[in-house]
Formats: sequence, C-alpha cells, structure tokens
Amino acid sequence: MSTQMPEVEVLTDFAVREHRSLWLDAWRRMKASRTAMLGLVVVVVFLLSAVGAHLFWNYDAKTDLDYSSKLLPPNLVSSTENPNVHIFGTDKLGRDIFTRVIHGGWNSLRVGLVAVGISLIIGCLLGLFSGFFESFEMNRIEKLVLMSGLGLALGLLPAWIASQWYQTLLFGGLGAAAVFVEKKLAQSKLRPVLFAAAGALLGGLSGLLLAPLVGLVCGVVGLLIGLLLNKPVNGKAFSSITMRVMDILLSFPSYLLAIAIVAFLGPGLEKGMIAIGVVGIPVYARLARSAVLSVSQKEYVLASQSVGEGHGRILFKHVLPNILSPIIVQATMGLASAILSAAALGFLGLGAIPPEPEWGAMLGDSYKFLSSGAWWAVLFPGLAIVFSVLGFNLLGDGLRDALDPKMRTK
Amino acid sequence: METLMRIKDLHTRFHTQDGTVNAVNGISYAMQAGEVLGVVGESGCGKSVHALSILRLIQIPPGEIEAGEIWFAGRDLLKLDDSGIRKVRGREIAMVFQDPMSSLNPVYTVGFQISEALMLHKGMNKNQARERACELLNLVGIPEARKRLDNYPHQFSGGMRQRAMIAMALSCEPKLLIADEPTTALDVTIQAQIIELVIRLQEELGMAVMWITHDLGIVAEMAQNINVMYAGFLIERGNVHEIYHQTRHPYTLGLLGSLPSIDEAPGTRLISIPGLPPDLIGLPQGCPFYARCAFRADHCRLERPELEEAGSSGHNVACWRWREIDAETLRKSAGGAQ
Amino acid sequence: MAKYILRRLISVIPTLIGVTLVIFLFQRLIPGDPAVAMLGEHATEENVARIREQFGLNRPAFLDRDALVEGDLPGFFDSQYVRYFNRLLHFDLGDSIHRRIPVAETLKERFPATLELALLSMFFALLIGIPVGITSASRRNSWLDGTTMIGSLLGVSIPIFWLGIMEIMLFSVFLKWLPSGSRLSPGMSITPITNLLLLDSLLTGNFAGFWDALKHIIMPAVSLATIPTAIITRMTRSSMLDVLQEDYIRTASAKGLTERVVLYRHALKNAFLPVITIIGIQAGSLLAGAVLTETIFSWPGIGKWVYDSILGRDYPIVQGVTLLIAVIFLVVNLLVDISYALLDPRISYD
Repeated sequence: MSTQMPEVEVLTDFAVREHRSLWLDAWRRMKASRTAMLGLVVVVVFLLSAVGAHLFWNYDAKTDLDYSSKLLPPNLVSSTENPNVHIFGTDKLGRDIFTRVIHGGWNSLRVGLVAVGISLIIGCLLGLFSGFFESFEMNRIEKLVLMSGLGLALGLLPAWIASQWYQTLLFGGLGAAAVFVEKKLAQSKLRPVLFAAAGALLGGLSGLLLAPLVGLVCGVVGLLIGLLLNKPVNGKAFSSITMRVMDILLSFPSYLLAIAIVAFLGPGLEKGMIAIGVVGIPVYARLARSAVLSVSQKEYVLASQSVGEGHGRILFKHVLPNILSPIIVQATMGLASAILSAAALGFLGLGAIPPEPEWGAMLGDSYKFLSSGAWWAVLFPGLAIVFSVLGFNLLGDGLRDALDPKMRTK
Repeated sequence: METLMRIKDLHTRFHTQDGTVNAVNGISYAMQAGEVLGVVGESGCGKSVHALSILRLIQIPPGEIEAGEIWFAGRDLLKLDDSGIRKVRGREIAMVFQDPMSSLNPVYTVGFQISEALMLHKGMNKNQARERACELLNLVGIPEARKRLDNYPHQFSGGMRQRAMIAMALSCEPKLLIADEPTTALDVTIQAQIIELVIRLQEELGMAVMWITHDLGIVAEMAQNINVMYAGFLIERGNVHEIYHQTRHPYTLGLLGSLPSIDEAPGTRLISIPGLPPDLIGLPQGCPFYARCAFRADHCRLERPELEEAGSSGHNVACWRWREIDAETLRKSAGGAQ
Repeated sequence: MAKYILRRLISVIPTLIGVTLVIFLFQRLIPGDPAVAMLGEHATEENVARIREQFGLNRPAFLDRDALVEGDLPGFFDSQYVRYFNRLLHFDLGDSIHRRIPVAETLKERFPATLELALLSMFFALLIGIPVGITSASRRNSWLDGTTMIGSLLGVSIPIFWLGIMEIMLFSVFLKWLPSGSRLSPGMSITPITNLLLLDSLLTGNFAGFWDALKHIIMPAVSLATIPTAIITRMTRSSMLDVLQEDYIRTASAKGLTERVVLYRHALKNAFLPVITIIGIQAGSLLAGAVLTETIFSWPGIGKWVYDSILGRDYPIVQGVTLLIAVIFLVVNLLVDISYALLDPRISYD
C-alpha cells in the first residue's frame, strides 16, 4: 500500500494538490524548522503533564503539609539520612516542589486557555465585523439590526431616568424607522427635524408622567437620540466606535490593567482569567480588523461579491479562512503572554489562592526565604514558567514563518 | 575601437531551499568604449542578474558568482576587494534600475541622493555637490531644477524619478551606464522621452550604454549591437542589422515574430513562442530552447550548442541548425500561411 | 505642523475621558460594600462614614434620577463619577485611606525613583537592542543572528520578577557583590536636585554617591530592561530585513557607498519608523513592569507603592497610579506619532 503512495501523488490533479497543500505546506515547513519543532515538543510535554496530572494524579493542596521536612534541598536518591526523594526539593511548608510544579501547570494552562479564549472570541468577532462592514456596504437587514439595536441601547438612558422601560422599545422602533425612510426622505431637509421631534416626544411625554423636570430632561435626551438616529449609521461608523473603545483599553499598559482589575475584584484564579482575557481583546480586534480589510480588497472576494453571494457566505467562506493564520499565530503567542501575566498576578498574590499550586504564587511564597539560600524553591517554578512560555513563543514563531504568505512565493 | 569591458565565462547561481538556480551560465562577450549594447530576453533569462554581477550587487548568500572574469579598464572586477569594487560602482560603472518608484530612498531629498555620490567619488563639499546636482537635474530635463533639489521622491512623478535616477547615475561621468529595463514601469509616452534622453546623453557624454530590455523594438532604434539571452545563456549576438535581418537563432526569430509591425500586410499572423522558459533549477542537458523550438532535431536534446560565428565576423549564434534558418524566407512563409 | 500636533492633542481627549471612566469603574468592581472592603471587617463607624464621604458612596454612580423627580436638576448630575472627574480636573487624586494624605503628594515624592529606573532601563534597551538588531539583520543566518534570535526569544519568555529573584540570589545572596534592595546604602546621602540619584550625584560631584546609587539600580534596571531589549532587538532586526530588500538599498550600494553608510544612513532611517512605535509601547510596559521589579528590589517608587496598596486595599492609590501611568503612556504615544511625522516626509501634516 505504502509503495503506491508516490504514484497517487503524481496522478493528483495539479489544481487539487495546490488547494490541499496550503496547510500541508505549512506543516512541511514547520517540520523543517528545528526551533519550531522544539517549541512543539515543549508545548506537548507541558500540555500532557498538566492534563495528565489533573486527571490521574490526586493531589490535595489543603492537606499537603509537613513541617518536619521544610526547605529541604533537592534529593535525587533515597538514602538513610534522606529517605524521601524530592527531586526539586521542598518549600517552606515541607511540600514537594516537583509535585506542585506539575500541578501548577494545570492552573497555568487553564488561565492561558480561558484568557486567550475570551480575548480571541470577543476580539475576533469585533474585529471581523468592524473590518467587514468597513469594506462592504451593509444590506438592509443588517442596517435594521444595527439601527434598532442602537436605538434600544440609547433608549436605555431616558428609560432609566424615567423608570419606564418600554421607552427603549420605542427608541428601537425609531432606529428601525430610520432605515425604512432612508430612501424616501433621503434629500429632505425635514428629516432631521422630524426625527428630533419624534425623539423628544417619545422621551418627553412619558417623562412628563413622572414629573415635569423628568419630562424636560428625557425630552432633551430623546431629541439628541432622535438626531443621532436620523441617518442610518454605516459600517464605518460602527467600526470607528469599536476601535475607539479598543483604543481606550489599549491606553493602559496591558498587564497593569489586569493587575488593577484583579486588585479591585479581589484575588482568585478565575478573576485573573477574566482580567487577562479582557485586557487582550483589543489586540485580536485590531489584528482581525486589519486582516479583514486587506483580504476584502483581494480579487477573489470582490469576485464573489460581484456574483451576488450573501454577506454571511462571503464572511465565513472567503474572509474568515484567509485571516486565520495571523490569528492562530497571535493566539499561540497570546498563550505565552497569558501564562506570563498569570504568573505575575500569582506572584503579587492576586492569582491562585493559597495553598492552590500555581507557579507565580509559588515564587511569591518562596522569594522571601532567599536569604536562607533555598535556591531550589525559586529556581524550579521559574524554570517551569520560562520553558512553557518559551515553548509557546517558539511554536508561534515557527507557525508565523510557516504560514507567512510572503514565504510562500519562492 | 578600444575594448571597454570583456566578460569571460560568467556563472552566477542562487542557492535556494528548492535547489540551485542557474541564473547565468557561462556568458562571454566584449563591449567597446562608447558602444550602445542592447541585452534582450524574456523575464527570468538572466539578463538583469548578469548586469548585477558586473557590479557585484548580487546578494551573497543566496547568490554566488561562481566563476568567470570581468575585465574592465585593465582589471578583473571579480577579483577586486570590497573597497576596490566600491570605487568602480557609481564612478566607472553606474546603473539605473527598473522601478523608479522604489529605487529612490523615500526619506532623503532627491538633491541629497544625487550629491551623495559626488561627495564620495569626486571629493566635492556639500555646496559644490549641490551645484552639480542642480546642473545634472537640468541636464536630464527636470524643470525648475533648483527648487526640485529639496523635494522628496514622493513629490516626483514616475518619469521624473527615472530622470533623477539617470542624473544620479551620470553624476560621476561613468564610462559605462547599465540601464536595467529603465522604462518598463513607465507610461509609453514617458518611455519614449526617457529613451530619447539617454540617446542624447550618450552622444553628448560619449559613454558606453548597456540597455537591458525584453522589448526588441526599443533597442532597435538605439543600439549598435544586441545580445540575446535565454535561460542564462547568450544565444545570439550581432549588430542590429544582423539580428533583425539575418536572424539565425529560432528563439530570436520568435522574439521578432512576436513583435507587431505596421509595415506588415494586414492579416499577417503574429508568431508567438509556445510554452515557458525552462526551470533554471536542473537545466536540460541539451539546448535550453529545445522544448519550445520549431526547428529541433534529436541531436539538440543531447548536446548543448556553443556560441559560434555565423556568417559575418561579429555575428555569433548558439544553435546546431543556424545554417538552415533563413529569416527572410521564413517570414514570408509565415505570412503566406495565412 | 503646529496644526497637526493640535489635532492629535484634541483627538486624545475622548480617550482620556474614557480612561478616567475605566478607572472610575474599577471601584464598582469591588465586591460587597466598598467602604467595608477598604477598611476591613473591624472598621469603626466613623471611619466607614469618612470613606463613604470621600468617595461619595452615598451618591449614585453616574446620574441621580431621584433628584430629578424631586425637581433638583443640579442634583441630577451630582454623582460619584462627576465628583471624581471634577476632582481630577483639580489634580486631586483623593486621599490615601490609611495614611489620610493626598495621593498626588506621595506620587510626586515617589515618582522620580520609578522614572530613574525606567529611563535607565530604556537606555539599556536602546543601547543594546538597536545595534544588535541592525548587525544581526545585516548578517542574516550567521551565528550572531542565531544567538540574537534565541536570546531575544528567551528575553520575552522570562518573567522579569523571576529574573530579579535570580539576580538577587546570585549577586546578593551567594556572591554578595550587589545590594538587594532600596536606592542607597544607609548613611549615604545625595543632595536632591532632580531626585534622579544618578544625575544628582553627578551634578554635585558626589562620585561615592554615584557609585553607590549605581550599585543599587543596576540589578532592577537590568531585569526591567529584559523585555524591552528583546522586543526592540527583534523589531529592529525584522524591520531592517524588510528595508534591506528594498530597491533603494541596491541603488545606494550601486553608488559605491560603504556597507556602513548603506546600513546606517539609508536603511536605518527607514527601518526606524516601526521601531519607534514599539519603543513607545515599551515605555508604557516599563512603567507597568515597575510594579513587579520594584516589589522584588524594595525600590521606593510608585510600583512598590501600588503593590503595598493592593495588599492594604488602599484603592485611591491604585487608581491614582494607574491613571498616571495611562496618561504618561498616552503622552508617549502622542510623541511617537509626532516624531513619526517628523521622520517620514511622506506623512503630510494637514
């Protein structure tokens, strides 16, 4: 069977082979790179040990305590003086560091995956839609959804002030109306006036039921909303608003923001995941948006648009597959930096709650005992961080080289 | 006439992941002082690489000038040390490149980029170099040259940038100007202006010009001699008359055939060359043109033809069957076949 | 040009307001009663009342609709956020909960220590990153290039706090060459001028003081510089590699310029543009990284202060420092944009 393989290769139609080899080619190039394969091996070892320890190696952090064997240096073989083997030594509570390093991996992996998952999903969706609607005119249904959504959201303000929640629906309707009259009243100078008046009435009248001043304020707010809804927003406005919000998140150095969020939320691994995830959103949003923008200019996308394919089909069939590779690379690198951030949080006492094992927290626990010369207590958790982060970075670098379209042309 | 440059058996290769690309495979020829030489061939035939090899501008690695001699003004350029070849570049041999849009540094003024070579090779100070740069811009026909000195490349149009490139190349009065497809990226009308400019400057300054192009029509008006290259080989060489009217190589014939001409009777078929040039990785053992040749014989596939004299003394061709090829009758029969 | 700068300045304002909003929202994240969270379970009634007053916790967060119903329009806008924003306009960052002194005052006191550390780290990062990046790009695939790539990858993979710990272990605990914390040895003093000790000691000719300050700052600066050095090296290298492929580099070589001139004059100025952006971003992360580095080296700057404040739940300090760092980050990025426009003639100011 195997001897026939080459022949099958030769017989395959040229075009078909090209199509299939996109990912295959990347894999071949990755295999050729020693550093990328090293990264892959490190990552696989890390994943297997973390998942394996979690599933098959029972460890109860709460009961692990042995003052009689605290701060013992690494001991590789059992002897009469040192009957217990601790290949990484023990910490201040006499816990075996090797055990805790392996189990700590599970926590780091969890934080990394969940955090990257949060940033990836939210960021990519935002970036995808921003980029897409920046390059393609919205169709009527999309406009309808966007405008009534916008109306609902803006309507929350007067509705909250007047404590009358049905108002949001009225403003949602106003947003939808804007789409319906877009063509008919396109040139009319009356339209802004009409919408302002409608907004003022919707807000003001129901406000008046409560108190005159409430009516006035709601009326003014409604008027402004009416003016805003007057002209249906296009994709560019949607995109620039999204990116503006991303800019705000990006004006904080990333893990300072994560530290600050957890500082207020209170320590905990789950809170750390969320904080690191939220902080990472803008990176993916920007990346996805710029990738979509460049892909949208490509002939194959324009072609599919010209034969009348729907937006959903274009987005998921033509755009999404073509922006995957930068996102995969970024996500791999993102795992590395999420593990680093999680370790930093743990080190500052904001991550895993003791006695739960976590690499950063282990370092934070032990570095105060440095002057006693217990180097093993800080060396091994640190090395675990370095290797796992290095592994993801090497893999990410290798993936980038393998997937880089610039490299594909000889 | 005095020989300006003599190239002997030049080989240039590129070592890539997929294998070794044999870009230039043993080229030999001589250029006279003041001669205008056209180098013609399809893209990827090694014409640019051989020119870059003369100035040793090939990136090493992946490139490598494997063998050969390039004698210029009494010394072998390939044996010079780094500082030796730098003194040749710009001063004795200057080069103009294909894409004027990307060949000028976007963050320096045009004036500075021209002055740079003058300060380096002529030992001028800043002001002298600036004066000379201004003269040069005038010479290449840029209006308001003095004002233009302080412009950045992006403020120039494509044609003007190429003029500026030519001014830069001429700044140190080189003995040889290599123009590597300088008009390919330009509009047709601008092309004509640039060609005219170079012809004028060549006559005024008396330098030799090597004009590299894939367009035989362009060199017909300006060159005295023509080198035709294919797959890194020099396959035919002669003066303009010989190349156009006593064509001996089937490939040259094909190139000429794919040239539309106004003189030809309506309905004359354009002869095109079928197929693609061979892969430069792993060249065929015989004649490189074998696969596409209309005149091929079994022998052509087995042994590679060497360049040999065909008819007159300056006319050389590398083809086993050149004796059987008579351009005039062939052209007539092609016309008649319609 | 002035117009361009002005336009960029104006465009920062909405972002700045957004930043204050985010920082304000931090305190809404506190679980339970914020006043109790800040003071702990055993707080006195009086203290809780004081905190409620300081933060306006008895007011609604953004708008007071009850006031509106009662016909009180100014009262409608009298909210926690408006008060907070109003205070910020007067450069008032609130008072520390435990020490009850203005945050802004302590900030002024502690900031120079962080600034000195960050500046020195950035100096190291540029001094190493740019030349190494250029050299490694110009000798692509040489052993130097390989070492640089591995080194820089290692640089971004090492947690800086762990590197700091390792430094202390080696140089302070085992070798006893360098002090493990604080800015100066006890008993040593430097006449303050700028409060940047290295600079002050040089200005006053106090060389013993300079040596002592240098010994204290070198380890924190090195560990803080790791990531920026690695990233600037990588960026310089890849940007140089891109530029070296450009046609104008070949033009420059064809003129007969030396490799040095081609690299440093023709390539570097172009390659530097993306590097500047990275330098701007790294400036921000330096300040954030200071939280970790200063904690390990007991460096009396704002980073250590934030760490202590997080442990002590002194939220106004965390808010104040975060705001300061975000503002500095915005300003640095503004400067980056402006220098971009100055360096690249293709960008028009209008």
